[in-house]
Amino acid sequence: MLSRHAEHLFWTGRYVERAADTARMLDVTYHGLLGEPVAEARRGWLDLLDVLHLGRQFADTHQLVDARTVSNFLVVDPTNPGAIVPCVHKARENARSVRELVSTELWESINNFWLELQVRDLARDLDQQPYELYGLVRRRCQEVAGTATETMPHDDGWRFLLLGSMLERAEMTCRLLNVRFAPFTEGEDELGFHQAVHVLKSASASEAFRRAHPAAMTLENVIEFLLMSPTFPRSVLFCLQSAETELLQLDAPGRLSRALRVLGRRRADLEFADVGELLAGDIHAFLDEVQNDVRRAAELVAVQFFRHAEEFAVFHSLETIA
Amino acid sequence: MTTDLFDGYAPDDFFDEVFTEDASVRPHYEDLVARLRSFTPTELARRERLRDAAFRSAGITFTVYGEDEGVERTFPMDLLPRIIPAAEWSEIEVGLIQRVTALNRFLDDLYVGERAAVRDGIVPAWLLSSSDGFRREAFGVPVPRGARCLVAGIDLVRDAEGTYRVLEDNVRNPSGISYVLENRAAMTRVLPNLFGSLRVRPVDDYGITLLDALRHVAPAAAGDPTVVLLTPGVHNSAYFEHAFLARQMGVELVEGRDLVVDEHVVYMRTTRGLQRVDVIYRRVDDAFLDPVVFRRDSMLGVPGLLAAARAGNVTLANAVGNGVADDKAVYAYVPDLIRYYLGEEPILPNCTTYLRWDDDQRKAVLDRLDQLVVKPVAESGGYGLCIGPAATDAELAKVAEQIEANPRNYIAQEVVSLSRHPTLVDDHLEGRHVDLRPFVLTGEKTTVIPGGLTRVALRRGSLVVNSSQGGGSKDTWVLRDDDAKVDDGDEVT
Repeated sequence: MLSRHAEHLFWTGRYVERAADTARMLDVTYHGLLGEPVAEARRGWLDLLDVLHLGRQFADTHQLVDARTVSNFLVVDPTNPGAIVPCVHKARENARSVRELVSTELWESINNFWLELQVRDLARDLDQQPYELYGLVRRRCQEVAGTATETMPHDDGWRFLLLGSMLERAEMTCRLLNVRFAPFTEGEDELGFHQAVHVLKSASASEAFRRAHPAAMTLENVIEFLLMSPTFPRSVLFCLQSAETELLQLDAPGRLSRALRVLGRRRADLEFADVGELLAGDIHAFLDEVQNDVRRAAELVAVQFFRHAEEFAVFHSLETIA
Repeated sequence: MTTDLFDGYAPDDFFDEVFTEDASVRPHYEDLVARLRSFTPTELARRERLRDAAFRSAGITFTVYGEDEGVERTFPMDLLPRIIPAAEWSEIEVGLIQRVTALNRFLDDLYVGERAAVRDGIVPAWLLSSSDGFRREAFGVPVPRGARCLVAGIDLVRDAEGTYRVLEDNVRNPSGISYVLENRAAMTRVLPNLFGSLRVRPVDDYGITLLDALRHVAPAAAGDPTVVLLTPGVHNSAYFEHAFLARQMGVELVEGRDLVVDEHVVYMRTTRGLQRVDVIYRRVDDAFLDPVVFRRDSMLGVPGLLAAARAGNVTLANAVGNGVADDKAVYAYVPDLIRYYLGEEPILPNCTTYLRWDDDQRKAVLDRLDQLVVKPVAESGGYGLCIGPAATDAELAKVAEQIEANPRNYIAQEVVSLSRHPTLVDDHLEGRHVDLRPFVLTGEKTTVIPGGLTRVALRRGSLVVNSSQGGGSKDTWVLRDDDAKVDDGDEVT
């Protein structure tokens, strides 16, 4: 397929995933911080900005940190490329650029999502009923993902879409663990029930976790689950496995690409890791490494499939060989 | 029955597509009119909402230039279809094939032939070389089978007597076919029972027919040719159509940056490396196609594309330089070109046209500007028109000045009082002017898609039907040859 098309699909997947993840975390943060004292709430919102890697951008807006300003920044602010509405806009623009590759049903679900956000009174939603809005964003993103799976041929195009969303999700879950568990892994606090549930819910994982670990909601268990569950679709390991599977299909047979090596190595690492050892060592340094690998893999995918910096060199050398 | 949609409908002094002069319904519309009468205004309003929802969610939009934000608009389709009976259509069809065949012969003669029409004095050389659409750079660029107008859109209008006349030829990059297909799809969904016992010829094989034509013009060396559609990108007003056609044909929709030329061979950049391209259905204008020979600032084109075409390694459709044939002054010579190349009398007449470089004609025209339509020769989309009877004195004076300054640039035509068709306005019907753009494809042979795009001037009294000027469209039904009625419930599309 055309490199440009592959890139558009990759980003469509990424942006939709980012919008969904952001909505999920906003939802949990907003409701978790209701009734907390101002200073506590402020810390909660700053943490969220950290998870989303948007702390500095928010600081540049020179606004007070509270539920209203941060929610507004993360949902509608047109200057924030990571905000939900701009993300959906970009997902739509990307899908529109590959309109002929995207099934009509998939296009309609993305387009209708966008139109729906256009007609809603978002300021009022954020002010009075954020729950409903976040639920809507989550459901629409799920609809997009489901429609893609059910109506697109599972060929290269679909694989790039999936690859984008898996790499985005892997990075998000990593950051979630990295930021949210810092106070506990560093021994400041004991992980309480509410904090644990908070993090699990941010990854839609609380019920799945309870079934896997009915008795003990320990720090170790929660981290192990979100980092290394082989079956839960939002765990880092699961995302890396999925990304690797798609990448393997996308690669020319016979040689492992650099992106695949980076991902495979990290995946194996997680598969055989021991959470006790990780916690005994510097787990945050470890999570940083995982995050870096995910980012590097995304860059290598771009070099291999989207840009052809060396295409002519390669092309001519092949010709000479033939 | 409480209200009748047709109450108060007056054909006035125009040729009406549905009613005859004595206000009776033309035979091929009887069935449709009877069915329409059974609809209440509320029911029709409901169907209109259904239609709007269908078009909006499918993202069937075009872009209006010169307005700010919210530039995507849906293209309004009137719920009343236009019907053309089989016998009438077969005459149009023959006339269109004749005209496009002559245009193809003319262009091939001009760019790769011996320029016989110029040599024999059929059309003056200076007129061709001074045309905006003429491309010196296209000399010697071959097109297999001489199919230089692979896709042609010939605009037809009906005059006061109901005679079909050619208003203009579009042989560069005619657009609108996607609306023909989408309109039909919408009609079958929104008003299935209107089809009733009428046997309407299908249009949905357009994609296959187009792909087949494109494959037939591939360079001889290409075994199983790779065809692509080249678009300027998402921001182009016709992008929806480009994507639509690529999907219908199952070919890649590429932008200039996806293509690269090496050693006069065109490749596209894919995730698995470079892949050779044999035929490009390009929807990028000549001027932007290749920065090496045309506009240097073009980011939409592909450097080296024209040289690759000249080398015979890739075919561009439509061919470069076709604009010379749809120049509105050259249009006046098309009937002569038909006689010259084919030895036949033109089947579809032109509209009466006056050329301005002839001193006598120009004087006569300047005296009658208030009765004529004046058109710039190189514009399309209804831009720059001056309709005499509707223009102010100041506008007329300005036009007269422009003509004197540059007579080559303008033609004048008698006002054709375009036929009218009942069109839904709020809850009742009013007559609105219509034209027809049939699409003619040339590959192995020249064929016409049944019907085409009927454009309707939605503003009362307006004669301008272009989408960029507030026009809408109608689904256009060409009836089957046998004209036999079938029982209700049979397949109708």
